[in-house]
Formats: sequence, structure tokens, C-alpha cells
Amino acid sequence: MIHRLLDTVWGQATNLLTAPIRHRRWIDLLVLAALVGTLAALWLVGHQWTSVQRPTVEISLSVWALPQYLLLSLIRAIAAYVISLAFTLVVAYWAAKDPRAERVLVPILDILQSVPLLAFLPGVLLLMLTLFPRSNIGLELSAILLLVTCQAWNMAFSFYQSLKTLPKDLEETAGLYGFTWLQKLRWLEIPFATPGLVWNSMVSVANSWFFLMSAEAFKAGDKNFQLPGVGSYMYTAVEQGNARAQVYAILTMLALVVLLDQLVWRPVVAWSQRFQVDENAEVDPGDNWLLRFMRRSRLLRWLEVKRNQRLHQRRPRPVLLRRAEEGFKRPGRLGPWFATSAMVGMLALLALGGLSVVRLLADVSPSQWLHLLKAGGASLSRVLLSTFLATLWTLPVGLWIGMSPKWSRRLQSVVQVAAAFPSSLIFASLILVFQGLGIGLGASCVLLMVLSTQWYLLFNIIAGAQTIPADLREASRAYRLSLWRRCWTLYFPAVFPFLVTGWVTATGGAWNASIITEIVTAKHQTLRTFGLGAEVVMATDQGSMPHLAASALLMAGIVVLFNRLVWGPLYRLAETRYALNR
Amino acid sequence: MSLNHGVPVCELRGIQMRFSGPRGKVQRVLEDIRLDVRPEEILSIIGPNGSGKSTLLRILSGLLEPSQGEVRFHGERLEGLNPGVAMVFQSFAIYPWMTVEENVRVVLRARELPESEVRERAHQAIRKVGLEGFEEAFPRELSRGTKQRVGVARALAVDPEILVMDEPFSQVDALTAEALRAEILDIWADKERNPSAIVMVSQSIREALLMGDRVAVLSGSPGTLRTIVDVPLPRPRDSRSQEFMKLVDHLHDIITSAELPDVLVTAPVPSAASQEDQVEPLPMVQSADILGLLEFLETQIGASDLFLVASHTHVPFEKVITTVKAAEMLDLVDTPKRAVLLTPLGKRFVNANMDDRKDLWRAQLLELRLFRVVRDMMDLEDGELPKEALLQELATRLPMEDPEQTFETIVAWGRFGELFAYREERGVLTPE
Repeated sequence: MIHRLLDTVWGQATNLLTAPIRHRRWIDLLVLAALVGTLAALWLVGHQWTSVQRPTVEISLSVWALPQYLLLSLIRAIAAYVISLAFTLVVAYWAAKDPRAERVLVPILDILQSVPLLAFLPGVLLLMLTLFPRSNIGLELSAILLLVTCQAWNMAFSFYQSLKTLPKDLEETAGLYGFTWLQKLRWLEIPFATPGLVWNSMVSVANSWFFLMSAEAFKAGDKNFQLPGVGSYMYTAVEQGNARAQVYAILTMLALVVLLDQLVWRPVVAWSQRFQVDENAEVDPGDNWLLRFMRRSRLLRWLEVKRNQRLHQRRPRPVLLRRAEEGFKRPGRLGPWFATSAMVGMLALLALGGLSVVRLLADVSPSQWLHLLKAGGASLSRVLLSTFLATLWTLPVGLWIGMSPKWSRRLQSVVQVAAAFPSSLIFASLILVFQGLGIGLGASCVLLMVLSTQWYLLFNIIAGAQTIPADLREASRAYRLSLWRRCWTLYFPAVFPFLVTGWVTATGGAWNASIITEIVTAKHQTLRTFGLGAEVVMATDQGSMPHLAASALLMAGIVVLFNRLVWGPLYRLAETRYALNR
Repeated sequence: MSLNHGVPVCELRGIQMRFSGPRGKVQRVLEDIRLDVRPEEILSIIGPNGSGKSTLLRILSGLLEPSQGEVRFHGERLEGLNPGVAMVFQSFAIYPWMTVEENVRVVLRARELPESEVRERAHQAIRKVGLEGFEEAFPRELSRGTKQRVGVARALAVDPEILVMDEPFSQVDALTAEALRAEILDIWADKERNPSAIVMVSQSIREALLMGDRVAVLSGSPGTLRTIVDVPLPRPRDSRSQEFMKLVDHLHDIITSAELPDVLVTAPVPSAASQEDQVEPLPMVQSADILGLLEFLETQIGASDLFLVASHTHVPFEKVITTVKAAEMLDLVDTPKRAVLLTPLGKRFVNANMDDRKDLWRAQLLELRLFRVVRDMMDLEDGELPKEALLQELATRLPMEDPEQTFETIVAWGRFGELFAYREERGVLTPE
């Protein structure tokens, strides 16, 4: 299975199979070692999670503690990812198949994937703390849940969109040949959704690194909650002003991001290309050493043969599964009943949540609202300024990279890794550096926002520049348009749709950054500037739920309004006027 | 030669199909279709775009439920999917993430067959269409013709009684299509196995006659069954034989008289709209196509034949018909029987320079009630007619047409005649 699939993706099957391969033995040894390593890691995690209550964890700043912390952080992210994926499959499927649920779920998902989640993390965490007794597993679970909240929405949205845009003829074959809903899901819907899901998984995991520090190290009132992990390591290092430990943590994180990129995302993206329906779509899996490597392993091939044998000895299917399938297949039975009760449950939860928020907000006075509005204005202007500054340098550079095939090949992976590196990790360190240079916190905030969001812009502009058709470029050269004129008549309009996408993601990231940068605890002192992000953090510190709810909702409101009033019209303009493929 | 006297495998009785479009508008696609599929026959279906050929196939296979009427399979009313039908799609519809073999196997697995039978039958189907050696290939590695072979193999694998094909060869090149047609005929002629009947929608009259024992001609929008032509020629058929050519001519005449009647019949508009609200439906044609037609006729000294136009210009017959229809509406051509003649006005138009052409075009447009309506509405709205307002007007005045498409045609014709301009971003029509 795996082998055949890998082989044909590359179209080099015969090539490699006939080539004499001598080093199979040591490859198998390495695969075995990797297996053993995974087992050991799982044992370690089990040990950590089941150990008795440790209200405050002492984070060791020694280098040798880092691998263990890294592993624990990684497992947290993986666990969150698994939950997010399950959530995606269930909720998006439900939204796509049940029109009533669709009307409620899709707007919610859309808003959740666009608001700055960091503003809601403290609220969720405070809630989790009251729900769980203060044991390790409770804290672990709340950290994982936090990571889920920053992974799940965009994945669910992508899966929903794939389900909705399934090509009509493929869907008809499923009907014609009598696929059950489960068969349709397995053979048709999940494969079709795979490229989108893979891409969004990359974004989601990168997102969870960004939020790692907030999830692992957390201060509410006078209580300090910390879970062993890279995020809390960095937090402690900054707090104590230990520069060397900060560098270690940054290097570790960088290594993790690069390793994940090489070991997980590249092979997975290359593999997902086979699910691309549009054959003309850009396919550039490049050469992947890991895929080549895995294909050589005899051990994996043996496992795969075993699996195939097992698959083809047909077992009678579990009765329960069959019943469930039939229930869903036959209208008027289990399916609608189930959907209706789920719907009622969801609406009840929503009503309950809405009610408690309203009750909280009743405690916020008009003068406090005014204060928050002003803070929102300050943060908004920082976000916009940073996006403007980032555009200034990424637009020319991105165009140049995108239009040079040589450089886009070389630099794209670098940009990808840079975008995946959680800049939140180094914010505090950089603020201290800026302060040393005499730059105020307000200005530093803008600089840090540029730092964390410029990659989204660069990435999108490069992608846009690559789609500029060669004939249009040749035409503009043939008519001797000056560089300046070429920019305004061809390059800028052509990348405009991509630029808008970049702006939306960049401003979203900048809002998140505002929460981390506007107030910083470092070297036993607290620096803060005026802004909505700072208000969120201070409300958490004081444990003032009304204040926290008001500021978080205000931030979400500003973002949603901005999306509707500014980015929405720009999107439409981009689609109608500047789309190149119409 | 088969004698088609058996009891029908499948019967369509009084089929009507309506789709409810946007704005709650009901679009009628099929009107009172009565058609049998007999055992041991190939039934070709032809007709212009929008006559509901594909819809008819989907009703036959049970993918769509007719708004009225019923489908009978072996005399029993069909509920849900037709158990005897497998379909070959125009766009192949094979799964890009599965190999050739998996694509065929997957439909057998859906039938809960034991794995050994799944393999055996998939293997046989693949062998039947000559795809041995391609089992492990992914669709993206295959040519269009080979992809359609996979589509055929998948359909054959489930051993259907009726093989339904929706313009199966329109997306493959001419040579491959020729080969595929011959292979399908071979497979069908092997009476040991299914399929017993083949129902094929075709775009070309020649193909319909090469394959079919009977050719059903649909016409108009909504589609009605115009007639069914028997094809008593032995196989293999020679498309250059005299008998064949005669049948081609016969079908041409049927289609022409249906689509371009010599006596002008206004389409019946069964709606609340009173007689004077009626406007002519516009053929969805670009002005450039009409210009091209006129220029072509000019090279033929002002007169040609519908089918000569199609074969000389390599434009599909259906499109030629709509273009001629449009030119006739504007009084630029005349169509006695199958001939297409430039009218005196048409001659003046072709020989005029661009400015005069536009003047003539504009004058002709204003002869059409629809364009006068648009102009009057624009005056009423102080020179800025919103798209939405016009769409609503079109929906009530032309309930059978798609208002968006009509709107696009109005804009294209109006722009060419400099009658008005359309600003897409604001969605308003303004006078030029």
C-alpha cells in the first residue's frame, strides 16, 4: 500500500526497484531504532502524566532537560492535533450534510478561525482550572484543550469546504454504484479533502507552537501554573533573564520546526499530491530524501505485505457498524433522530454560553467600555501600521523571488520554515534588546508584529508572483514598459488577490501578537504599554472575568467588523477584477 | 440484425422534470417523455444543448427522480437507483487517487462481493477494454482515451443490463473515439454476457447513426421527444455508404425543422405574463459568432447549407444552429429549409465598415422587443439600470430562460451595438 503509493507518486517506481540497492540492512536498523525510541518516549510521557499532583513545577534551565521538555511539548501538540482531527471529521461532516446544522455551525467556524484566539485562552484556562482538580492530568488536559482551540477551526472549515465542492460527476458515481455513507467518506470524500486538510494541518501545528508558551506557562493572580515543556522553559528563562537558556530554547524550537518540515510535512505534502483532482494544479513535490529512504526499507515492505494480506481476508463486518450504516442510509430512521438531538444539544450549549457572557458583561461600566475602546484603537493602529510596514518590504522581495524560478525553489522552504517558527517565543527577549537600544515598548510592539506576520505576506506574494502568466510578462517586456509601469500595470494587480489573503492572515497574527507584546514580564519586572492586548492580560492577572470577557469580545468584534467592512470588499474586488484565471 | 420485439428492459412513462432555480424560479427541463429501452439494442439520443439529454440519462439510472411520470425496470416501478444500470461519464469521473485497478474494484467492493470475486471481475473488465498492464497506473498518467477506457471497465465490471453513456467520446480525440466505438460494439455484440442494451447520448449525428439501432431526437427547451428514427443498417456500418448518408440527411432535416421552422412559431409562454409582455428569447450567442457566420456566408457567395457551415467551419452543429437562429432574429440571414442565405441587409452589413456595422446592428437590436424593453427601463431608472432589476424583469418575461445567461447575451449584443454600457463592478447598465 504505502510503497505502491509512494512509488507511483514519483513515477520512478521501476527506476528504483530495478536499481541495485545495497544498504537495506542499516536502513532497517534505523527504522527499528526509531520504533524503540517512540516506545521509550511514550513510557516517559505516561510516567509524567500519571505522577501525583505537583502544583508548581520547577523548570530546570539545564540544556540536558531540553530534549525531555521538547518531547513533552511535542506530545501535547500531537494529542491536540488528534483531537482536532476527530473534531474536524465529525463537526465538518455534520455541517456539510445537515442543512440545519450548517446554518449554525458554519458562521461559528468562520468567526472562530478569524478572531485572535489568544484573547480567549486566559478565559478558557481559568474555566478549565475550576473544572479540574489541581492534578497534573488536569493541567495537561487544559493545555491540550488550549492547543486544540488554535488548531481545529481552520481544519474543520477546510474539510467542510471540500465536502461542499466535491465534483458532481464523482459524487454521482458514488450514488450510481450504491456506496454507503461510510464507503463514500472513505473512498471519495476524505481523499478529495486530503490536500486541503494537509495544508491546514501544517498551519494548525505551526499555530500551536505560537501558542505553546501561553499554554504551558500561565499566571493568574498570584498563582503560577507551569507544565514542563519548551514553552515554560523559555518563559522561565526570560523571567530569570538567563540569556543562554533563551538561546538554547530558541535553537531547540528551530530544530523542531526544521525537523518536522523535513520528516513530516514534506513527505506528507508530496504524498497528498496524489489526491489532487485538478491535474493542472501546481505540483512541485521536489525530491524528498525521506520518501526515497523509506522506500528502501525491507522492514516496512514486510509490514505492508502483512497488512495487505490481512485486509484481503475479508472478515464479516461488525454487526453494530452495519446497523449504524443502515440506520443512516435509510431515511426516517436513526440519522435524522441523531442529528436533531445533536442540534438541540448544541443550541442549548450556545444559549447557555451566551447567557453567562451577557451576565458577565453587565458588570462592565460605560467608562470602562470607553477605556477599552481607546485601547482597541491603539492596538488597531499598531496592527495596521505593522501590516503596512511588512507590505513595504515583502512586496518587492516577494515579487522578485516569485518571478525567479531559481530563487523561489531555493527560498520557498526557508520562508516556510521561518513562517512556522513561533515568533512568540522570542518576543520577550527581543523587547529587552530593543529597550537596550532605546526603543519604546509601543514602537517595539509594531516591530515585533512585523516580525511575526511578514512571513504570511511574503509567502502569499511569492505564490502570487508565480502565477503571473509568462505571456503577460513577455508582453510587458516586448512593449518596453518601464519597471515602474510594469509594477503598476501587471505585477501589483496580478498579486493583489494573494496580497489580500496575506493581509487577512497577517492582521490576524498581529492581533495575537498584540497580546504577547503589549505587556511583558522579563527579568523580574513588568513592562506594559497602552493597548487592548495589555488589557486582556491584566484582566487575567487580576482574575477579573467581566473585564476579561469585555476586552476579549471587543477584540474579536473589531477583527470581525474589520473583516466584513474592509477585507470582504477587497476580496470581492480581487475576485472580480484582478483574478487571472477567469 | 436484432429484432427488437422483446419486452422493454426499461420504460420511461410521461417523464417531466423541473428544477427550481435561484429566485424560486422553476425551470422545466423535460416535458412528457415516453421512451422504451429494449433488450439487445443500442439506443442513441441526440438533441441540441438544453434539451435535457443528460437529465434523461440520470432519470433512467435513478440518480434523479422525475418530477412527474415513472421509470419502470422490467415492468416494475423504479424506486431509487436503477439496479440494472451502469454509467459512463463524459468527464470520465474516475477517482484520481486510485489506480486503474482500484477504480474498478471499488465499485465491486461497494456491492459487498467477496474479495476473490472482486479481483476476478475487476481483472476481466480491465482485460475486456484492453487495459492489461495499466492496472497500477494512476489516472494522471493516462491519456484521455485511456481514462475513458477505465470508465468503461468500471461500468462493465458490475455487469449491467443497460450500459448508459453520456457523450462518452466527446472529450477524446477523433481517432481514439473511433477505436472506442468499435470496441464497445464488439463487447456489446458478445451476447454471452451483459450489457444487453446500451443507451448513449451523443453530440454527433454520425456517431448516433454509427452506433444506434434507434436514434431518439430530442428538441427544444424544455426537451420533448421529437421522433425516433430506426436504423436498419447492418453492422459494421460504413459512414460513406449511400444508405448511411441518406439517414444523416433525414436526421438533419428533422433537427432543422425542429430548431429553425420555416413558419415562424413563437414559443408558447405558459405564464401569468400577458400577450403584450412577451419578448423573444435570445439565443446565447456572441456577436462575434454571428459576424463570423456572416463573413463565412459571404465567402460562399451569400448562400450555404447548415451542415456545410458546420463541416467547413468545424463548429459543432448545435452551435451553428443557435448562431443561425440569432442571425435570423436580426434579419441578417434567411433559412428556407436547410439553406442559409444572406439577406440584402446581411449583405450590406458584411460589406460595411465597422461604424456602419454598429449602426445597422443597433437598429436591428431595437427591432427586438426585448432590447426596447431594456432601453425603456433604463430611461425609467434615469439612465442607470441595476442588473438585479433587469434580472427580475427577465425572470417574469422569459420564465423558461436562465435570466443570468440572457442578461449576459443582452450585455454582449448591446455592447457591440454601442446601445448601452455595462459596469460590472457597480452592476449597472448605462446608456452609451
